[in-house]
Amino acid sequence: MPTWGCLGLQDSASPLMEQLTYFHDHTMFILILITTLVGYILINSTLNSLINRFLLENQEIEIIWTVLPAIILIFIAMPSLRLLYLLDETNNSSITIKTIGHQWYWSYEYSDFLDVEFDSFMAPYSIDSNLRLLDVDNRIPIPLNTQIRLIISAADVIHSWTIPSLGVKADAIPGRLNQVSFLVNRPGLFYGQCSEICGANHSFMPILIESISVDSFLNWVSSNP
Amino acid sequence: MALNPMYRRALALTIQQVSRQQTAAASTVSKIGNRDVVGFGMNGTPSYIDRVDFPMPAIRFKENTPDIQALREKEKEDWKKLTLEEKKALYRASFCQTFAEMKAPTGEWKSVLGITLILSSLGIWIYMWMKMYVYDDLPESFKPEHQEAQLKRMIGLGANPVQGISSKWDYAKGDWK
Repeated sequence: MPTWGCLGLQDSASPLMEQLTYFHDHTMFILILITTLVGYILINSTLNSLINRFLLENQEIEIIWTVLPAIILIFIAMPSLRLLYLLDETNNSSITIKTIGHQWYWSYEYSDFLDVEFDSFMAPYSIDSNLRLLDVDNRIPIPLNTQIRLIISAADVIHSWTIPSLGVKADAIPGRLNQVSFLVNRPGLFYGQCSEICGANHSFMPILIESISVDSFLNWVSSNP
Repeated sequence: MALNPMYRRALALTIQQVSRQQTAAASTVSKIGNRDVVGFGMNGTPSYIDRVDFPMPAIRFKENTPDIQALREKEKEDWKKLTLEEKKALYRASFCQTFAEMKAPTGEWKSVLGITLILSSLGIWIYMWMKMYVYDDLPESFKPEHQEAQLKRMIGLGANPVQGISSKWDYAKGDWK
């Protein structure tokens, strides 16, 4: 979950999010390199007293400052494309969960073995529950280290289901089923918030995944009518 | 012949050009007055510009007077015979500013900085007014006790244990690392 003054990405809870974080760091490194170089050139050009009145058409430097950015872009594009295809790989998911966005709550269905359905509303704030706009009344239990298939849709207007620390986001569109696949590799609570404007309480329909051991998950499913 | 109209047209255009140039020359003289044209200058037009990177303007700065003409004749002999005042007069006849005057700092930065700071402080006054009269109060969760409770819960949950907040907490010791 985000903490105060959180400038960067949240710590990842999923191998794909780990890869996304690494890619972000790699690209940020390149961007800082470019910014430093350009900043140095700017300052140097401004503060020196050299004048060239006849500067026209220098072919060598034009070639250099076309080829060099192209090479830098290749260094960015290669990991980017690798990650793009990695995110789209087919997985053999062990369990399928459905989530439907409503105005203004999410409902979840676990219909693989027993029919478990519940709604998840935002919990009102108090110092005891103490995470304003993030806590919910019914969390989504997810078994650890299990490939999950999540099918997302909506009942009324477009919503968007997301958990930043898992690197998952997909629009919930009425009349359409969107599928995402993820795996949670550490236990804990992972928070998200609706990410598509859906009306007055768009900011007040959070998502909360509770990642638990497989045993605990099976206990929960069987004990929930 | 079919070419004859073309020749006549070419001739007419040439005559037009020449008359335009003569008119231009005449109006140039009337624009710069009695000043000599002494070179190409910045762009070939007979204009006076004080620029460090174009040190030789196209025309002299002041119009020729008999005094200056006399000095110019004296300038053709030994320069040691010229007094300092005469050298200065010759310079100022041909140029408006010296290089030192051209490069001298203008102090414009003081006005720019001053006006920027005045406008920024006006912005800050406006923000303070907005905070006092327009914005709602912050929610209860911003109070320090509430934030402490939230922090305690985050650490209890092990939120961001890799590089974030929980990685700074020593769970064995029950205190920050």
